[in-house]
Amino acid sequence: MPRGRKSKLRARENRRQAQEEDLVLQRATAVSHTEPTNRDPLDEMVVLSVYYLLYKYQIKEPITKADMLRNVIQVYRNRFHEILKRASAHMEMVFGLDLKEVDPYRHIYVLINKLEISYDAILDDVREVPKTGLVMAVLGVIFMNGNCATEEQVWQMLNLMGLYAGRKHFIFGEPRKLITKDLVEANYLEYRQVPNSDPPCYEFLWGPRAHAETSKIKVLEFMAKIHDTVPTAFPSLYEEAVKDEVERARARAAAKAHTAAMASARSRARATSPSRPNKV
Amino acid sequence: MQGSTRRMGVMTDVHRRFLQLLMTHGVLEEWDVKRLQKHCYKVHDRNATVEKLEDFINNINSVLESLYIEIKKGVTEDDGRPIYALVNLATTSISKMASDFAENELDLFRKALELIIDSETGFASSTNILNLVDQLKGKKMRKKEAEHVLQKFVQNKWLIEKEGEFTLHGRAILEMEQYIRETYPDAVKVCNICHSLLIQGQSCDTCGIRMHLPCVAKYFQSNSEPHCPHCNDYWPHEIPEVFDPEKERDAGISKSSKKSSRSRQH
Repeated sequence: MPRGRKSKLRARENRRQAQEEDLVLQRATAVSHTEPTNRDPLDEMVVLSVYYLLYKYQIKEPITKADMLRNVIQVYRNRFHEILKRASAHMEMVFGLDLKEVDPYRHIYVLINKLEISYDAILDDVREVPKTGLVMAVLGVIFMNGNCATEEQVWQMLNLMGLYAGRKHFIFGEPRKLITKDLVEANYLEYRQVPNSDPPCYEFLWGPRAHAETSKIKVLEFMAKIHDTVPTAFPSLYEEAVKDEVERARARAAAKAHTAAMASARSRARATSPSRPNKV
Repeated sequence: MQGSTRRMGVMTDVHRRFLQLLMTHGVLEEWDVKRLQKHCYKVHDRNATVEKLEDFINNINSVLESLYIEIKKGVTEDDGRPIYALVNLATTSISKMASDFAENELDLFRKALELIIDSETGFASSTNILNLVDQLKGKKMRKKEAEHVLQKFVQNKWLIEKEGEFTLHGRAILEMEQYIRETYPDAVKVCNICHSLLIQGQSCDTCGIRMHLPCVAKYFQSNSEPHCPHCNDYWPHEIPEVFDPEKERDAGISKSSKKSSRSRQH
């Protein structure tokens, strides 16, 4: 994670807000160009809401009613629940993503993947099985070095496993190509130049597929096994992994709670205030 | 496009999983798509027969129709490999990249895109792109940072780099063809054979018509004396070979004289 986290997050958030509005405005015009104008404007709202929900899912941010009203629904705010209900029906039916209200007072929602991927998914893919241990080990090195590992750190670990750059391995092939190209293209790893490095040096991070297919606690369990110990032997890593798992579990628990969370009755009962300060 | 008369297909977890994973990857080559499809069956419906890919995708597309999105099949411009991406038909901008990039990064892409479209070869040099860094919207970006952002575009398969020059990845063409044609109607180049957007290709020295490399390969297949389809003048360029997925898989090298079965969307 980059330094100066809080202020960077706030600045990033402000930029995102502005960007989101831009995005949705553009799409609104676009959708209206694609079909005859005697279409129900509510249909259009539902489609735009689906795009918005997908966008939020991809950037891994929760959805707030306030943001949705501001960026997407706007004039149709009194039809918010109807629009959201239809949009979430699409999300579930088409993408297998469930919209769950995690905070009924501030109206915050998250999308849960009903087709929750587990560690086994990596093993199921026959072609990838020999590489699974390697992928987990590299993910482990990255996690253990604060979610970002230098190329040197990764090679240190690979050398311990008997893998050397330029030397073809009978199962893994040439390891340098594997980690800097194949696994990057497969979205398990991100490989980038360390900013302002001269001579240029490189670092690894988890790729989006790694985030989707496994979790910090699972990787920590794997690393613990390799070192013939238990996850709690790495207290700060364990804490981070557990926090990550709690967030995931919380989202899952909200899913189990009740689907009727979107009923309007409860939402009107309490005073609501937006969860974020007004953007610039 | 078939439109509303198309029977709406049925989505099962197999299809949903496929859609999720395709979305995660952004763009995939055909052999990867087939593998992905098999994986989805294995995870969610082990005993079912794997449906033919074309029918499988058409089924999903019939459900996606009401959302104006589609799994689109295209072909790489340099070697005719079939690729697939989930495309938002309603979005006429580069906002589809917005989930991964900041405002100034998107503007850098826009600048690179303009240079690529205006160029004769379909390639824009790194130097020329970086010289526009001062004109970017949003937070100020240094050239060093811009170099890094360009690499991010390559990694995310929006651009391809060849010897310090950049062109559009097949994914960008698939996803943004409509946007490009609407935004740059005068600068845009089109293939004489398939009439789709053309970024890289060959052109006739006499009459100036252009063709994609895979289109050239297919059109002039086993023709020892190729002539321009428009002005009939001798075609002066080397004819590339047609991409053959069968041979590719077996030999690991792209060879051929079999017909390639790729198709191109208009």
